Amino acid sequence: MKNRIRSAVAAAFLSLASLAAAQPSGGAGFEPPRTGNGKPDFSGFWSQPQHVESVGRGATTFTKDKMPPFVPGGEELFYEPRTGDPRHDEPRAFCMPSGFPSAFFGPYPVQIVQTDDWLVMVTEFERATRLIPLDGRPHREGIESTFYGDPVGHWEGDTLVIDSRNYKRWSLDDYYYVNPEEYRMHSDAFRTIERLRWVDASTLSYEFTVEDPKIFTESWTEDLQMTLHPEWESTGLYEFVCQENNRCPGGDCSSP
Amino acid sequence: MNKLPVIVGLFAVAQTSAHAHHSFPAVYDSSQPVAVTGKITRVEWFNPHIWFYVEVTEPDGEVTEWGFSSAPPGVLMRRGITKDVLQIGAVVNVEGFRARDGSNNASGGRVTLPDGRNVFTASSEDAVPDSND
Repeated sequence: MKNRIRSAVAAAFLSLASLAAAQPSGGAGFEPPRTGNGKPDFSGFWSQPQHVESVGRGATTFTKDKMPPFVPGGEELFYEPRTGDPRHDEPRAFCMPSGFPSAFFGPYPVQIVQTDDWLVMVTEFERATRLIPLDGRPHREGIESTFYGDPVGHWEGDTLVIDSRNYKRWSLDDYYYVNPEEYRMHSDAFRTIERLRWVDASTLSYEFTVEDPKIFTESWTEDLQMTLHPEWESTGLYEFVCQENNRCPGGDCSSP
Repeated sequence: MNKLPVIVGLFAVAQTSAHAHHSFPAVYDSSQPVAVTGKITRVEWFNPHIWFYVEVTEPDGEVTEWGFSSAPPGVLMRRGITKDVLQIGAVVNVEGFRARDGSNNASGGRVTLPDGRNVFTASSEDAVPDSND
C-alpha cells in the first residue's frame, strides 16, 4: 500500500514538473536572472534562434508559407537572378559578411553579454558582433546603410524588443544551402524586430518579425527559440577569421 | 594529374543540413565523388575550414597529393575533435566531393583508418554544432 502511495505521489510530482516546464514566460516557479536595473538578463551562451521543430538541423531559414504576397516588382528584388559570376552569386565564398540575420541564424553558438544599457550579441560565425543600446536612444540618422543594420532596444515588460533598420541590400537567409537555385535577398527597406523573453531556465522565446515594403505587402513573424548552453562557457566562442585560409574561393583552387 | 584513384558510386556524406561560409555548389561538384587512400602530409588547422593533404600512390606508381577541406576548427573542437586526430604520416581513407575547377582538391567528409575505424566525419558544409551535442 505504501508503495502505491509513493508511486501515486511520484506520478503527481512528475505531472506537476512537466506542467511547470511547459509554462510560458513568467510561468509558476521560474524567475529569470536580472541585471542591476531589474531587467531580465539574457547573458550566456545560446544556440542560434531556431524553429522548435528544426533544432539541430542546420541554419535557420524563413518559412515560405508565412511570407506575404509580393508588391509589384518585389519578386524580382527578392529573387535577384544569379549571373554565373561567383563574386556576385556567392560573395561569402570570398569572405564577405553574412549580415543580419543570416550570420546569427547559422548553426553556431551565440554569446550575449548584457549590462543595464547595452546588450552585446556575438556569433561564433565570423565573430560577427551586434552592439544594441538599451538606454532609449533613437536610431542614428544620416549614416550609410550596413550589413548588420542599426539596432536599438527597449523593454516591454520582461520582453526585450530590438528594432533594427538601415540595412544594406543583401542576402536574406541561407535558404540557398537547401536550394542553390533560390537565392533570397532583402531590400534596403528591410527592417527587423526581435522580441526576446525567458520561457524557462534554459529557453528564450525569440520572435522575429520581418518588414520589407519594397518586396512584401506586409510584415510576417517567425516563432523561434534559443537554448542555453552553459557547457560552452568552458571554451567560449572559438575564433573564426574567414580570411585566414580561405582556399578555393568561388570554386577556384588556383586562386591565391 | 587529375585522374581519380577511386571513384565511388554510392557515396553519400550528409549535405542536407549544409552550412559553411559558402554554399556547397559554389566550390564543390556533388556529381564528382572521390575517395582516396594515402598518407597525411600536411594539416592546416585554420579557419574558415581546416584543410589536410594526402599523398596518394597510384597503381602505376605515380604519386599525387590531394587536398581536403573539412569543417571549421571551432566546430570540430566543440565536437571533441582536435588536430591530433590528423597525424602526419598516418594512412587514411578520405571520401568527399571534388572541387569545381577539377583540381585535386575536395570537400573531405569522411576520414577512416585502413581497418575501417572512423577518424571523423565532418564535411566543410556540416551543420554544427548541433544544439543537441
